[in-house]
Amino acid sequence: MTTKDIGPKGPAGQVADGAVDYVEDRTGAKTGISWFLFRNIPKETSWFQTLGFAAMAVFGLQAITGIVLAMYYKPAPDAAYASIQHITHDVTWGWLVRGMHKWGATAMIVLVFLHMGRVFLFGSYKYPRELTWVTGAILLILTMFMGLTGYLLVWDEKAYWATVVAMNITASAPILGPFVADIMRAGSDMNPDTLSRFYSIHMLVIPGGIATFIGLHMFLVAKLGISEPPWSKRSYKARYEAEAAARAAARARAPQGRREVTAAPAAPVANAEVER
Amino acid sequence: MKKAQQEAYKRDYAQAKKEGKPFFPYAIYKDHIVAILCFAWIIGMAIWHRVEVGRPIYEATTDFVPRPEWYFFFLFELLKIFKGDNFLTPVIMATFIVPNVLMALLILTPFIDRSPERRIEKRPFAMAVAIIIFTSLAWLTYKGATSEAPAAGALKFTPSDANTEIAARVIKQEPCLSCHVIGASGGSLGPNLNNIGSQGKGVQWHIDHLKNPSSKVPGSAMPAFAALSEPDLKALATVMDGMGTKYKVD
Ligand code: HEC
Ligand code: HEM
Repeated sequence: MTTKDIGPKGPAGQVADGAVDYVEDRTGAKTGISWFLFRNIPKETSWFQTLGFAAMAVFGLQAITGIVLAMYYKPAPDAAYASIQHITHDVTWGWLVRGMHKWGATAMIVLVFLHMGRVFLFGSYKYPRELTWVTGAILLILTMFMGLTGYLLVWDEKAYWATVVAMNITASAPILGPFVADIMRAGSDMNPDTLSRFYSIHMLVIPGGIATFIGLHMFLVAKLGISEPPWSKRSYKARYEAEAAARAAARARAPQGRREVTAAPAAPVANAEVER
Repeated sequence: MKKAQQEAYKRDYAQAKKEGKPFFPYAIYKDHIVAILCFAWIIGMAIWHRVEVGRPIYEATTDFVPRPEWYFFFLFELLKIFKGDNFLTPVIMATFIVPNVLMALLILTPFIDRSPERRIEKRPFAMAVAIIIFTSLAWLTYKGATSEAPAAGALKFTPSDANTEIAARVIKQEPCLSCHVIGASGGSLGPNLNNIGSQGKGVQWHIDHLKNPSSKVPGSAMPAFAALSEPDLKALATVMDGMGTKYKVD
């Protein structure tokens, strides 16, 4: 980035520059951030490629509304239900924050599934982005577990019995299943400690995991670059040119009169599109 | 993908990047527009569809469906398909095999599909898999969303004796009906119990099953009712063992 010279900087500007240089010298943060922001990405990106960012933004919103809810929520079997009612009916804007947290959960699930669908349909999980997909799949599973653990916290009968069933399903998995279920329930059955354990898993363990995996996921996305939509004009053109070159080379190699017969090229249609 | 194809991809992508444009501001502005629309949707829904609080747990009601968040409906609907009615529908299919196979396929997708082709119209198999998985998840979710709560009412056993009196009381205070049809109504998460006695499993089997269902039915999703007293368990098990043979409900 070049900027126009508008004369020497004032004292505030000098202090700011000094601070930036100080941090840059010790961390390389300025280089890193400008690499991240100003790295090139393919020219033709689709609106569908914004869904991952939207999922991440909603995760941030969930963290904020979740922190506010945690200020009023009481994770004890004899107090949880009343504290939810308190938040919903008494706390100023409590209903709004709880509503945003609840609808935010739905939005996040939908966005993560849509994002996964677009990655699948674009074939973006293919080389070299296989491990980006794996970290993403783990994020999907963690996000579902957020929903499972958060649901119980309301401590009403629907949620309670649904969680009983879900925990039994978990316990039925061979080898690790019973252990995982016992760890989550704090015992072999639902008991008074189950609620506070779910609370801790919901607000500390899984968010920590999600944040870590978002970090990994984003690192890979930035390092490998966002994929180009497979129908981009540039790639059609490149593919057509490669095919034409290959045909020309084959023709040049083949002796006169014994030219290789190739199928009529389908690409000119795409090429016409390119030139339009 | 073969080595040469991988290298060709890398070369092609490097070219796309070279002809590209910077992430800031050309991509990040789109990201923010979509994120802001999502926030607006969330706030709008929070305002127009106020969240409710359900009934507290310990009220001993039976007219509710034990229902998870909507994105787990498909798992619960699987339980209704594989409820152990015959050897083709073992419970373990719904609780373990199907979910874990799906999860493994999800994680392993890039290692299963290794062709270099990315255009979806040239990947008919991938397209078919996507359509099948999407429609079955959507269908199961829809079915889960429209399942209805059973009507609460007193159960009348014929003939009635000391055992059925206890059974009627226990069934009223525990949520059996949320998951089972007994008499005219009930939930469909577990099997219909009206005829369960005709399997002739014996009273002791039912006592053990009630105390710890998965010890008798691998992968069972039914909660354990070990906290019931011995006489209650015995009476309930006796009635269960006679359902459809000795006892009828109307
Ligand atoms: C949360 C849901 C749920 C509740 C509540 C529930 N069950 Fe079940 N029940 C199931 C499921 C799922 C199955 C199928 C798996 C199995 O057989 O264990 C089942 C199976 C059964 C069976 C059939 C066992 C067989 O395979 O022959 C009996 C009998 C039964 N339940 C009785 C009861 C009674 C009595 C109660 C109330 C005390 C009750 N259930 C409460 C979910 C539930
Ligand atoms: C919490 C959930 C998730 C978050 C926050 C997230 C975030 C992101 C972001 C911001 C991008 C950049 C491009 C874009 O927005 O499309 C991305 C790309 C990607 N994501 Fe995710 N993601 C999540 C879940 C998933 C899931 C479930 C999968 C698949 C199983 C996945 C696979 C990928 C892949 C392969 C890319 C690279 C795509 C490309 O380069 O075109 N992600 N993710």
